[in-house]
Amino acid sequence: MLSVAGLTADIGRIPVLKGVSISVAPGETVALLGRNGVGKTSTLRAVLGLLRRTGGSVSYQGQDLGGLAPHRLAALGLGYVPQGRGIFPLLTVEDNLCLGLKGKPPADLFAELYERFPRLAERRRQAAGTLSGGEQQILAIARCLIMRPSLIMLDEPTEGIMPKLVSQIRTEIAAIAKRGIAVLIVEQNLRTALRLADRVYLMERGQVVHEATPAALRETPDTVHRYLGVAL
Amino acid sequence: MSDVVLALAINGLVWGLIIALIALGLSIIFGLLDIINVAHGDLFMVGTVGGLAVTVATGSFWLALVLVPVLGFVLGLVLERVVIRPTIRQAALTIVTTFGLSMMLQEAVRATYGAQPRRMAPPIEGTVPLFGIDYDVYRIAAALFAALALAGFFLFLQRTKLGTWIRAVRHDPETATALGIPVARICGITFALGTAMAALGGVIAAPITTVEFRTGVDILPFCFMAVVIGGLGNLQGTVAAAVLLAVMEGVVTSVSDPTVARIVSLAVMSGVLLFRPHGLFAGATR
Repeated sequence: MLSVAGLTADIGRIPVLKGVSISVAPGETVALLGRNGVGKTSTLRAVLGLLRRTGGSVSYQGQDLGGLAPHRLAALGLGYVPQGRGIFPLLTVEDNLCLGLKGKPPADLFAELYERFPRLAERRRQAAGTLSGGEQQILAIARCLIMRPSLIMLDEPTEGIMPKLVSQIRTEIAAIAKRGIAVLIVEQNLRTALRLADRVYLMERGQVVHEATPAALRETPDTVHRYLGVAL
Repeated sequence: MSDVVLALAINGLVWGLIIALIALGLSIIFGLLDIINVAHGDLFMVGTVGGLAVTVATGSFWLALVLVPVLGFVLGLVLERVVIRPTIRQAALTIVTTFGLSMMLQEAVRATYGAQPRRMAPPIEGTVPLFGIDYDVYRIAAALFAALALAGFFLFLQRTKLGTWIRAVRHDPETATALGIPVARICGITFALGTAMAALGGVIAAPITTVEFRTGVDILPFCFMAVVIGGLGNLQGTVAAAVLLAVMEGVVTSVSDPTVARIVSLAVMSGVLLFRPHGLFAGATR
């Protein structure tokens, strides 16, 4: 579905990605793990063309994304929930939800979404900036879902969220995967990542250095400690 | 004496609304593209000259009022593509390029239209009694046109898809791109809208100001003061500051002279920069 091969990118003159190769199959949940600053967010941004790619290739459902303008990727089914949620605080909840839609959204889609996220329905006319951090994250995910993506990329979805809401976010992400939508998740919370993912990539210094299933990773705590600096 | 104060205060209000229209264009361009458009006053000047030229050619001011902003929009699209986009996100460079654009616009108008200042007859003649003084009907109409255009612009920003996209791109262009919003096109349209608003302000102001190639030079500092006092990128604040400054200058002029009035405005701006660097209306909804 998503195939990234030898991806390189720079920020200024500093190379941040040095040949990243990853893949995500339809319906699969893949986690990208690593310490701060190893290139996880840059990988997502480079896939989407938000960070200029200097080499390598990115293809999605067999289509090379190299020559496509970044704003055209959403229409191909690539959804993105950025780090920090990317909510537009001065727009209403409903304006945020409709932002990526070309026309009026079908009423049934809204009804389904509001049934699933009743807090958003209650606050649909409210400025999104007045929502709590957890509600904003739900809004960011809902805004992505309303565009009917086939792959969602989530960057640190539980960062800065109250601990009691983390499990709700985790449940939502699991529900997305159950619906057959592929998920590529960047996550600092190792427990969350291992619980959600079918497959895990570990990154270090702009490269993928290890690939494993969560079960395999649990059996190699040395690897986890070496690349993530934490104990399982 | 009190009649003079009142007349100048009302004049200030009229000018304030027109300048608010121009300053709003400057502010939205700054907020979205992060550029300081030194040529913005000259786009207003092009509007005044265009207004006079179309009125003379067709005999209809009302046609000019519609046609010149449309032409301004098209001019803005071309300028954004040719002058602004190649230097975007390089603030220092945009000052140089828009300064060059300012020179080119002034010299182009001088070469084609001449250096002689001209006056334009107002499309509506006569006076009406207003708070005990006889006041020009056209000046009241000009204030109404400007107020309607301002209200229309805010409605456009709040109620239309394009307006919502402009507000989203102003806040976070990267996430907007990821959601499928064509950010480069939105930037072009926004610059064109700012240009059209300056041109519209020019047509409205043409019958109450001198029409010449340097008309924009005087108005630009006033617009910048309104943008700074209102809060950089704060659209409602910009409008409020433009009206307040113009009324204040009108009142000060009635007891002193225009130079002192401008000094007072500059002092107010300095005070705002010192004590409220994010603008007098920082925190207002943008």
